[in-house]
Amino acid sequence: MKLLIVEDEYSLKQSMIEYLSASSYLCESSSNYQDALEKIELYDYDCIILDIMLPDGSGLDLLKNLKENNKTDGIIIISAKGELDDKINGIEMGADDYLAKPFHLSELAVRVAAIIRRKSFQGKSNIILGNILIDIKGKRVTVDDKELDLTQKEYQLLIYLAINKNRVLSKNAIAQHLWGDDMDFPDNFDFIYAHIKNLRKKLVAAGSEDCIRSIYGEGYKMQIA
Amino acid sequence: MKLFTKYNRINITATILIFLAGSVAFYFVLDYVLIRQLDATLRSEKQEISEYVQLHQQLPEIQNTKEQWIHISKTKQADTKIISKSIPVYNKSEDEVENIRQLIFILPVKNENYLVTVNKSETETEELLKLIILVTLSMVAMILLFNYLINRRLITSIWQPFYNTINNIKDYAANQQALSLSKEPIDEINLLNESLNSMTEQIHKDFFALRSFTENASHEMQTPLAIIRTKVDSLYQFAEGKEIMMQQLLAIEDACLKLSKLHQSLLLLTKLENKQFILNESIQLKSILQQKCDERIELFQSKQIELNIEATHFNMNFHQHLAEILISNLLNNAIRYTSVGGTISILLNQKMLKISNTASAGSLDIEKVFTRFYKASETGTGLGLSIIKEICISAGFSVTYSYEKEMHHFIINFQA
Repeated sequence: MKLLIVEDEYSLKQSMIEYLSASSYLCESSSNYQDALEKIELYDYDCIILDIMLPDGSGLDLLKNLKENNKTDGIIIISAKGELDDKINGIEMGADDYLAKPFHLSELAVRVAAIIRRKSFQGKSNIILGNILIDIKGKRVTVDDKELDLTQKEYQLLIYLAINKNRVLSKNAIAQHLWGDDMDFPDNFDFIYAHIKNLRKKLVAAGSEDCIRSIYGEGYKMQIA
Repeated sequence: MKLFTKYNRINITATILIFLAGSVAFYFVLDYVLIRQLDATLRSEKQEISEYVQLHQQLPEIQNTKEQWIHISKTKQADTKIISKSIPVYNKSEDEVENIRQLIFILPVKNENYLVTVNKSETETEELLKLIILVTLSMVAMILLFNYLINRRLITSIWQPFYNTINNIKDYAANQQALSLSKEPIDEINLLNESLNSMTEQIHKDFFALRSFTENASHEMQTPLAIIRTKVDSLYQFAEGKEIMMQQLLAIEDACLKLSKLHQSLLLLTKLENKQFILNESIQLKSILQQKCDERIELFQSKQIELNIEATHFNMNFHQHLAEILISNLLNNAIRYTSVGGTISILLNQKMLKISNTASAGSLDIEKVFTRFYKASETGTGLGLSIIKEICISAGFSVTYSYEKEMHHFIINFQA
């Protein structure tokens, strides 16, 4: 899977490259409009992570260029302009998703994975974690062919943990993924803990190993060998 | 008071006073002139009589008329003083008192003195005077009337461009294009228009400069925040087995999230104050309310909050995104200040939205509750309620807070 990350802020770009490379994506990057334009004209990418405000142009122009050339690369816009208008603009112009800065890398990874799944025509939409199989299309989770009965939130949580497997995810990041960020979370994230506990119980009951680890209740990690 | 009215008041009062004074003076002058003329007639009569006496050494035969009559009587007086005066007499035929003018003099005829009184009725003179005064007054009235009419027409038409300008600037808002008021033939109005044009252009420029500054400042802030957040995400991977590091990273993340929310809120407030939203989307408040409550179901559960919703289904003209923010903020607020095991009641109908929650801690500060950075607890940005207030203002709703029966009530009245 080949990704192009277009972002002019060096540190942010490096963080994204590190995180996504670790998820076995092949990452290329551009820090300006011209370079990005050359790259998208020459190569095809599975997903392009596009910053809108570039020093020598607008990411939206790159988006327009891609659409005019009938490129099918998946596109996710990451912008500091977390405003509705820009979001709608981007989506209307053909972007697949929009993520406002600041975002969690784990959130970006989930979005990128979702875009790539949608774009892949081979229909390879299963995620396999040891003996756990998540069928995204059918929205089914099975452990050794035994189907799990998960709630919507538990299912979302499982995918999130699975995409970001072997990583420590803070409870903030999990809460924002599951509930969005217009909510105001109380100091105790008991309800996140409750969801994690239920998911763990169901997985273990179905015969999976107990792969979700709590890090002092402040974060969680899905450990898959 | 309109300029024209004010102008007219002064103008007409002054004109009336001047004409009044003029008329009085005119009356006296005219009266004086006419009496003198009358006296002149009487004197010429005297002259005639005297000449007749000198010529014939006897009194003339007097022909009295209604207008003029002469009375002659013998007198011992030798005084030659000539008296002319006006006296009122009773006129039998007209049954009224009229003034007559008399000229009294002593006439010596053959060693005898006669007192001659030449009388002339003043009626004619008075009538003439009356006529002249009448004509004068009606002319004054006509001048006033025409002056008023002409002024009214003229001033209205002269001021029309001024009113046009006023109408144009009345609805001007800073986020609109600069005004382009037309050129007018009158210099003053033209000057006004030109000044307004350049002023609104400046306002427009400043407005956009400020707006883009606010937006850019906010955006520029989000990128470093994004770096902090992603670096914290990376650091978490090294925090396994180190509880303190985990907690500290979480604290950094919380601060980062708060800062980011603060920026978004301030940006939203600025946009609301600048009236950058067009509220013309048809939305269903009930479904938004339902959706936002569903999103928070775990929050209600974790605090064991009982939720009562009584909502009517209807469409309203508003803004989807703002409606979502409004409902979210109200709910966040209610959840935050409800203690464990409390109740949140929501009533929604075409007239109002009322969100009530139990709170034993007493009333919030009614004066300050909607001001920025007012916080009754240490959580939250302190901007939620001011955002609610600003959204209500821009939508023409009214929002009130009250504390009754150990409950906070936030009421949004859609018909303000």
